[in-house]
Amino acid sequence: MPDPDLELLEQSDLSLLETLDHVLNKGLVIAGEITISVADIDLIFVGLNVLLGSVETINEVLGQRTSGGAAESDAPESGTGRA
Amino acid sequence: MSQELPQKRGGAAAAAGEGGQERHAFYVYGIGARADLEPLFAETLPEGIEGSVPLEIVVEGELAAIASTVPLKDYDEEALEAHLADPEWTAARAARHQKVVAHFAERAGIVPLRFGTIYRERSRIAQMLSEKREELSALTARVQGREEWSLNLFCERAKLMKRLDSTNLRLREASERAASAPPGQAYLLRKKTEALRSAEARAEIQRVTAAVAEALAARSDGAKRLNLLRQETAEPGELAARLSFLVARDRLAEFRAVAEQLAREHTESGFTLELVGPWPAFNFTDAATAAASTDPIS
Repeated sequence: MPDPDLELLEQSDLSLLETLDHVLNKGLVIAGEITISVADIDLIFVGLNVLLGSVETINEVLGQRTSGGAAESDAPESGTGRA
Repeated sequence: MSQELPQKRGGAAAAAGEGGQERHAFYVYGIGARADLEPLFAETLPEGIEGSVPLEIVVEGELAAIASTVPLKDYDEEALEAHLADPEWTAARAARHQKVVAHFAERAGIVPLRFGTIYRERSRIAQMLSEKREELSALTARVQGREEWSLNLFCERAKLMKRLDSTNLRLREASERAASAPPGQAYLLRKKTEALRSAEARAEIQRVTAAVAEALAARSDGAKRLNLLRQETAEPGELAARLSFLVARDRLAEFRAVAEQLAREHTESGFTLELVGPWPAFNFTDAATAAASTDPIS
């Protein structure tokens, strides 16, 4: 039995910043015919980091995914757990 | 890593022809096994990066890429650079990129590409799949049945310090000596004690990070330490470390149980563990990673 004093792995939204970090900074780099250079990505990311609070569009776009955390039958473990 | 951009060829970018029709480029989201991806295109798909433009599949041999057309006027080099300066434009599209990749990653082994991989012609995507067939097949196999989970380790310094004060013998001795010393000497001893506390706290953070990394690496098929991207001193304390693990779906319950156990073990010392996922295997799909079965965490 989990310790009742512990906030155990409750579902919450994937961090927006973290999502952008994964998408913008990571992933296989394949030379497309137009690709953003790594240095550019860092700049974009810094910019996003600073301005994130005011960007509601992303929340809307991401909303469907994050709120579906526990509801998606094939991804029951989705979401953020904090213990 | 530098990009290789081919020379701009006049008119070569015309995918949809001239004569008033909008010209297109192809945005690529990720790559997987053709046999896995093809059936998914018969089902409902998330929207593409431009919202209304549907996703399409580009196949070549046993591999397939997930792509969609994008207007070249927004995605050629200059336009893209200009758009990227607009956080709202970029963030909305990065979020759609993530939705697409996540959708496929939940259903198949996917090599997620980074945001902003664009080809001028469909045939060039097929060519890329063919040229990098070996590497891509290995990566696809590596992520099959697995997903990435990242773990944020937060440390509440005040709580850790308090814990150290009562458990760390050297610290206790030092502060007792300071307490019983004459005033002038006590001042110096207190300063020394403070320095010792900071050093012990850093060492403890290192120790806990290593212990967590090791325990979870043993329940996963790859582990990485990520750069700290924010100096967060909010709710659960300061962010002390970020780790990422490639976890087999059929071992996820075990992995989570261990994470929860670790969280319980270290909560008294002021540590909070936050498990975030599942992610497409963003951190485990470079060629160097594919070569090694387990990555050193350091």
